[in-house]
Amino acid sequence: MLFHTWTFFVFLFVVVPGFLLLRKTRLWIPWLLLASYVFYGWWNPYYLILVAYSTALDFILVALMDHCPRDRPAIPLRERVAHPRFDDTVLKVAFIVSAVGTLGFLGMAVAGLPTLRPTMAVLTLIFGLMAVGAFFASRAVWLGVSIVNNLAILLFFKYAQFLVENGNALLARLHVHATLPDPASLMPFGAAYVLPVGISFFTFQSMSYSIDFYRGRVHRERDFIRFAAFVSFFPQLMAGPIERASHLLPQFYEFPKITSRDVTDGLSLFLVGLFKKLALANYLSYYVERVYDNPKAYGAPALILGTVAFAWQIFFDFSGYTDMARGIAKLMGFNLMLNFNNPYLATGLGEFWSRWHISLSTWFRDYLYIPLGGNKEGTFKMYRNLFITFFVSGIWHGANWTFVIWGLLHAFGVMVTRELEHSAFYRDRVPRLLKQLGVFAFVCFAWIFFRAGSMADALLIIQRIFTAGWTDPQMPLLMLAIIAVIWLYQMAYESTLRPVLQTGYVRVGLGVLMILYMFLCSSGGGAFIYFQF
Amino acid sequence: MNPPQKSPVTDTPFVNEMRLNARQWRLVAGIVVVLLGFTPWVWKKVERFDTGPDYRIPYSLSKDYWLYERRLQELPATNAVLIGDSVIWGEYVLPDGTLSHFLNQEAGRPDVFVNAGVNGLFPLALEGLVEHYGGALHHRKIILNCNLLWLSSPKADLSTQKEERFNHSRLVPQFTPRIPCYRADASERLSALMERNLPVLSWVNHLQNTAFNQRSIPDWTLEQGTGEPPAHPNAYKNPLAQINLQVPTAPAQDSERGPASARHKPWATTGEGTTRFEWVPLDASLQWAAFQRLAQLLRARGNTVLVIVGPFNEHMMAPENRTTYRLLRDGVAAWLKDNQIAYVVPEPLPSPLYADASHPLTEGYRELAQRLRKESAFTNWLSTP
Repeated sequence: MLFHTWTFFVFLFVVVPGFLLLRKTRLWIPWLLLASYVFYGWWNPYYLILVAYSTALDFILVALMDHCPRDRPAIPLRERVAHPRFDDTVLKVAFIVSAVGTLGFLGMAVAGLPTLRPTMAVLTLIFGLMAVGAFFASRAVWLGVSIVNNLAILLFFKYAQFLVENGNALLARLHVHATLPDPASLMPFGAAYVLPVGISFFTFQSMSYSIDFYRGRVHRERDFIRFAAFVSFFPQLMAGPIERASHLLPQFYEFPKITSRDVTDGLSLFLVGLFKKLALANYLSYYVERVYDNPKAYGAPALILGTVAFAWQIFFDFSGYTDMARGIAKLMGFNLMLNFNNPYLATGLGEFWSRWHISLSTWFRDYLYIPLGGNKEGTFKMYRNLFITFFVSGIWHGANWTFVIWGLLHAFGVMVTRELEHSAFYRDRVPRLLKQLGVFAFVCFAWIFFRAGSMADALLIIQRIFTAGWTDPQMPLLMLAIIAVIWLYQMAYESTLRPVLQTGYVRVGLGVLMILYMFLCSSGGGAFIYFQF
Repeated sequence: MNPPQKSPVTDTPFVNEMRLNARQWRLVAGIVVVLLGFTPWVWKKVERFDTGPDYRIPYSLSKDYWLYERRLQELPATNAVLIGDSVIWGEYVLPDGTLSHFLNQEAGRPDVFVNAGVNGLFPLALEGLVEHYGGALHHRKIILNCNLLWLSSPKADLSTQKEERFNHSRLVPQFTPRIPCYRADASERLSALMERNLPVLSWVNHLQNTAFNQRSIPDWTLEQGTGEPPAHPNAYKNPLAQINLQVPTAPAQDSERGPASARHKPWATTGEGTTRFEWVPLDASLQWAAFQRLAQLLRARGNTVLVIVGPFNEHMMAPENRTTYRLLRDGVAAWLKDNQIAYVVPEPLPSPLYADASHPLTEGYRELAQRLRKESAFTNWLSTP
């Protein structure tokens, strides 16, 4: 279900009144959970199993982690094996269940229905690890199980095809007469192998809860329905923002106080998001598709403008989704984090990443970059950590080498701009606008890899930008005008002109213009780009 | 560990300050409602719409339902209106070769009968058109054509289970009664419902039809021409300059229609042989059910309705196929009689007067008009006050 469809409006007109009607009961959380599952299941009801499984496992793992004292010293392996006694009944039961489960799943993996064997093998591994966790009463093992489980889901659904293709290519190059199995053949009961929408978002959100609990940053949630509602909260389930348990989960403790300001703020955010998606992103997408689907046919200006159009398309598309998500949540009294903050006005690549997809970049910062050592261990290790983080970030966006290159280019860009900032000349003498244009140009260059269908296409586009003739790009003037106006608006917002934009007349005028434009000029529907991630 | 606390977060950070308060929202809503509510009304006053005798909605504007509604609203109350599909509209003929033209000729006045047919408008869509855009059809004399072509196969009847794409899908019932071959998603169906109920959306569609080649303004700027890579002739044009406040008229020279066109010739000369139709029984037909509802709706609005059944081209039918057809035709007549709706079942026209299974040629319309004038049901209907 997409936010900008009539179906969603009907859905919302059922969900919000129901939510308000149930405010004095304990049923508002189950209602939100039900709504979220309907919202997700509308796309593919079978993959609800995946959301529910990921939720349930992390809930259980954290509950078990809670039974392992944080400050207890680790028990040596030999001693633990020599004295297999459980002080905690829950852990004892968990061990028995996990051990029995492991054996059961192992049996089914070996001799069960052939279509179920791969799934059973994975469950054997997960339950086996859980048995180990229970046996050693180890928080670290529980955390490991959570991470392995979430990454395994991601790995299988998102990266298996990529890994198999590359693995098979490698085997062929090494003259090994073997092939890796097609991931589709591993699906239980022959179910279709398709990428579950928003898988990278809900797995990361669920996983952050386990990690934060392990680090003592969040409390254990004892109510499963509340936790499930947090993981699957429908406004941000499909494409974020990736919320932290410490921020969103407490908002589920009591019915939110909804003020008229929440409603007007929610509607404002939704309007802006809808405008970005319907009026801007969809319009730009047609030009981008035209150029990127047939790059050989276009000269340098069209390829450059197509890339610039893509930069704005993906911004409008993703930030539009986020605005709508935040607006819908706000209508119900929930606050979701800011995810975009005029990224194309950044003066450095580091700043760009503090403005673009903020929930993801802070996720990687907190759960990868800092655990790797961050910038505390010297320049070399800092850049090593940076490259690792951006490599993973690239892969997170998609199973393709183009995404890896995109991530590494950004790591390189961050490194260069950070070094440039050390120079007083760059810091103080280079005009802000020039820095902004430089960053924008670099980001656009990196977007070529992000948007191109393949590495060959990306390289072809870059080659043609520098070698093809300067033919008429035929980019509609209306499109160029829209991009220019919005860029200027953003610049004005971050300048001394901001108070003018904050006046009631300007806001009302813009609100009217946006609504009228959408009525008159919408370019139809289309899914959000980030759903594929 | 302490018990969990409620989140301290109480505010949502905003970027770019498009943050309206309640008063501003009321203002925005007021301005938008006034602008969107009045624009279609004002548009009717300022947009030139030349009609005149024998006017029919141009083929290119067949899906401009807002214009259709406007056309009906602007008709004098004394006009008798002919509604139906391309048989009424005149698929192979020029405006002066249609049934309404010849009926006017028979009546001796150019403005008694009005052609309000629309191309491809099968009963399920016609029902939607009359229900949502035909509010002006009340307390009038109406000739309703019943073209049994729409029952000539499960596909034409839209009762097949296989997905079909068809014209005027935004007019058909979106949820009930269910059309099995119509597989639009819920959002598209809801969008069609909204378009019917919000005049401004139909007006936007009108604007797109009349000024932007049936596209939205952004899509129009991207319109593709010819060449490799294709040229985009509208890329640098000013969209507002396209709006000339005049409803386009049909081209003066229509190479597709009229006696001089290559299509305007008897069906038998096209090499088409006899056909065996898979007639759908009346009690199973979606189109017939829609036709029944439509006839009742028109009557409920105080109209005096005359139904013309056919005349279908029986010469085109395989002989063994005619019996079923005639049973069907007689069933239609029986239902009309039972419901006290005036009707005429003209005898089939001579074979050379048909262009295909259901469309007469110019001379066919002339003959049909002459025959109708002689039918007592027609003259009684016409003389009804």
